[in-house]
Amino acid sequence: MTLTTPLAGPPNMRATLRRNFWRGVARVMRRKPSRMAGVAIVCLFLLMAAVGPMLYPAHLPRDDNALYAAPSLAHPFGTDFEGTDVLALVVTGARYVILTGLATAVITVALGTALGLLAGFHRGRWDTALMRLTDLQLTIPGLPLLLVLSTVWKFNSPLEMGLVLGLLGWGGVARAVRSQTLSLRERGFIEAAKGLGLSTRHIIARELLPSMAPYIAMNVLIAVTGAIYAQVGLFFLGVLPFDSNNWGVMLNLAVFGGGALTSTAALPYLLAPLLAILLLTLGIVLIVDAMDEIFNPRLREE
Amino acid sequence: MITGTGVTKTYKQRGDVLGGRTVQALRGVDFTVRKGGAVSFIGESGCGKTTLGRIIAGLETYDSGEIVINGVPMSALRPRRRQPYFRRIQLIHQDPYSALNPTRTIHQTLRAPLTLRARQTRRSDAWVDDRAEELLSLVGIDPGYVLGRYPHQLSGGMRQRVVIARALTVDPEMLVADESVSMIDVSMRLSVLALLKDLRERLGVSLVFITHDIATARYVGEDGELYVLYRGQVVERGGTEQVISAPEHPYTQSLLSAIPVLHGLEQPGPERVVPTEALDERHPDAGCLFARRCPFRTERCEAERPALRRGADASHERACFHAQRRSVIPVEAVA
Amino acid sequence: MTTTSPETGGHPGAPSPPGLAGGPGDMTAPGVRVRDLVVVYRTPLGELPALGGVSLTIEPGTITGIVGESGSGKSTLALSLLNAVQPPGRISAGSVEIDGLGNVLELGGDDLRQARGRHLGYVFQAAQNSLNPLKTVGKQLLDLGRSHGADDPRALVRDARSLLERMGLDGARVLDSHQHQLSGGMRQRVGIMLALVLNAQLVILDEPTTALDMITQATILRIVREVHKERGLTTLMVTHDIGVAAEVTDRLAVMYGGRVVEHGPTMDVIGAPSHPYTQGLIRAIPRLSGDTAEARALPGRPPTLGTLPAGGCVFRERCPLRMDVCETVEPPPVLVDRRTVACHAVAGARQERVVREERVVREQERVGREEERA
Repeated sequence: MTLTTPLAGPPNMRATLRRNFWRGVARVMRRKPSRMAGVAIVCLFLLMAAVGPMLYPAHLPRDDNALYAAPSLAHPFGTDFEGTDVLALVVTGARYVILTGLATAVITVALGTALGLLAGFHRGRWDTALMRLTDLQLTIPGLPLLLVLSTVWKFNSPLEMGLVLGLLGWGGVARAVRSQTLSLRERGFIEAAKGLGLSTRHIIARELLPSMAPYIAMNVLIAVTGAIYAQVGLFFLGVLPFDSNNWGVMLNLAVFGGGALTSTAALPYLLAPLLAILLLTLGIVLIVDAMDEIFNPRLREE
Repeated sequence: MITGTGVTKTYKQRGDVLGGRTVQALRGVDFTVRKGGAVSFIGESGCGKTTLGRIIAGLETYDSGEIVINGVPMSALRPRRRQPYFRRIQLIHQDPYSALNPTRTIHQTLRAPLTLRARQTRRSDAWVDDRAEELLSLVGIDPGYVLGRYPHQLSGGMRQRVVIARALTVDPEMLVADESVSMIDVSMRLSVLALLKDLRERLGVSLVFITHDIATARYVGEDGELYVLYRGQVVERGGTEQVISAPEHPYTQSLLSAIPVLHGLEQPGPERVVPTEALDERHPDAGCLFARRCPFRTERCEAERPALRRGADASHERACFHAQRRSVIPVEAVA
Repeated sequence: MTTTSPETGGHPGAPSPPGLAGGPGDMTAPGVRVRDLVVVYRTPLGELPALGGVSLTIEPGTITGIVGESGSGKSTLALSLLNAVQPPGRISAGSVEIDGLGNVLELGGDDLRQARGRHLGYVFQAAQNSLNPLKTVGKQLLDLGRSHGADDPRALVRDARSLLERMGLDGARVLDSHQHQLSGGMRQRVGIMLALVLNAQLVILDEPTTALDMITQATILRIVREVHKERGLTTLMVTHDIGVAAEVTDRLAVMYGGRVVEHGPTMDVIGAPSHPYTQGLIRAIPRLSGDTAEARALPGRPPTLGTLPAGGCVFRERCPLRMDVCETVEPPPVLVDRRTVACHAVAGARQERVVREERVVREQERVGREEERA
């Protein structure tokens, strides 16, 4: 019994496992410098979204003497058409963008995983019905629908935006999760769990889901980037009415208002949000690379 | 005790545009496994032995026939009500690598069924952990070493022991071992076989042993019964030792003759049959199923299907018109 | 040793320039001498030896079995004979001399490629699945011929057909078939045909019967033995199944933890194994007759690259004859009863026996002298 110390009690065991997991995650992240860089970038943006708007007054100061000012110490990325600091715009605009991204990802993955699991695990009639629904979702043309929707809906809150983007994007995840489930359910351990009389809830939550975790986590991250592109694109096109700070809005104003494509004056104003989008995407991509190792105990513990 | 009568199973194979073809996995198989007994099903791949094992463990449906568990015919019950009966029959998978969830520790793997059981029998949480340790000790591994580990950290032999321990969590009456050692390193196979044998003696669980390797079937169940399956039909059955030492069906004789001889320790048996290899499994089903490959076939074999009949010995049956004892297994080499 | 062709030249070991098209039988069975071969694998824990100084002499014209469990290094050894160890593996020391080719480890590029078809035939572990599913067997045969500069495709097809027919198949039909139209045993025979059709005289079969049914396995083993005899080959069979090796081989090399622990005539090694690992392995085989209680499991588990002990005997953890010296000194192979064995206990016993025999001789001499004096 001296060897069985981790067995002191079930809660204790679980705590040990959780601690080991996070220690494993830290180890995986440290394996490549690129992953640490990714974590740093994503953390920076998360921080921006969380506290960014608090750093600046609700209405950003304007400087009428410095419209489209060139980058300087006071304004590292110059100013916009009203003389507002571009950096401040990027920082305060992060919240909307990132919240939308997260909301989209959560809805996409939650819906997609749930429906995919249900369809793949129960097969038969459930499967047929859910997959027809998925096909239907996949055939909905997103952009035209959004154009129509924007005539009646203002999308003031990032969560509303996320909801719509999420409802338009879960089909792919559902299909992929279903096929994963179909292959996993043939594995011996799922069959054994059924044979032992374990509940369907246990089998899905404890046996199937963890095996799909790397896959799901990857989809979350990819969905975030997808959502960022989608909403920035929508705002850039100007199809959505806007009254808050947003990187897409900045791009729109820089190109259509400032003529950034033809003159150099508004170039910093154009490049700053672009750079932010690029950096955030890069950060996420660098982290995606680690997902397989994080959720596979064999690769994590090595 | 479990008995089966006339169990049949047909698979539809997908493929062709015109509906595909059907494969008869089992063609009316009768069997009996007594409480605490050992029954081996042997045959080549595709003979239906795995399907039969899965049907016995309740993991597969059958088309016709009847299975009776402890006197209760399963056909009288609705599928949901059959589950408690089949739960006491646990399948040990062939592949210990896929039989354990790679994302869960051994402790988690054993805890889940034990917790369920504790709830059903109103036992405490402490019992769950005690029982997990007890079962691991029973299958011959140090609980302190494996409990906190993940499957990938264990050898194939150890994994298979964990799989057996997991099956024991529900206090089964019967274990169905399907090629349970074929993926384990040679030097560790025997210890897993010995464990199965031991569990049968100590716990009184009956054992259904499914394999293509007749020698391992003999090791585990020499006092039990042996069924030889060919294309979904039982072609010979009898006491394990009897069928091996005095086989009467040419197919059994071919199988036994195909076992490599340990030159140096053994010599080929005096009547070793030169095995003929499978020609085409798709040939018509008329007559004896083995006729095309049989070195002793006659015209009658191609026209008529022989039924399982008693031989000289009452407990030894075989389905062959030309059944004859042959001594085909290797004999000890004379020094 | 008979060969299929009457114009067998009979220059034992004469180098035959690779790349020249030749008829069957212009070579004789080559011998192979592996000396102090070390193969390491790069892992996160550093370079670990999969083969730790293997020396093995394969007599020309024999079927030699290489038996071992997973991680014993048997497949690595077989690949080394082709100089085909893949990264992260690397041959770091030693030599592999093959008659007619020289040191294979010094060959490279085109020479090596040519040698691989014409001198060395290799039947891969998953020969059943190593055919291209999109091409017929015949097409793959012609591809093989072209890449080896065979100038007469007709002759090639004729040879292939006769080989297939020799193995009990309808040659023309098989050459016209795709992989999925052939059964496992048929594919295995196609694998053997492709290894032999360029007249390789050294054939390496890597686990030729795994995943085959018992009866098919027996057929393949019979074919291997017959073809070996008829074509006068040197055959190497790598397997984890000591029974398969016992059935067909003349000589047997038992590997454990990247070392050859015992090597000698199959009958002797199986009948009276010397090394404690060989003994344990044979005792762990369930048999068809005799007392089942005699079968004994081998305790412990085979080592993996990571768990191999750095010094001393690799088998000591599981060994019933373990001594102090086994912890520190790796046992060198010594010659005992017509075979080589790498074990301190066996070598010690032999030493003792020699000493005892000498003592007996001396004693007899003394008695003799005293009798003379008396």
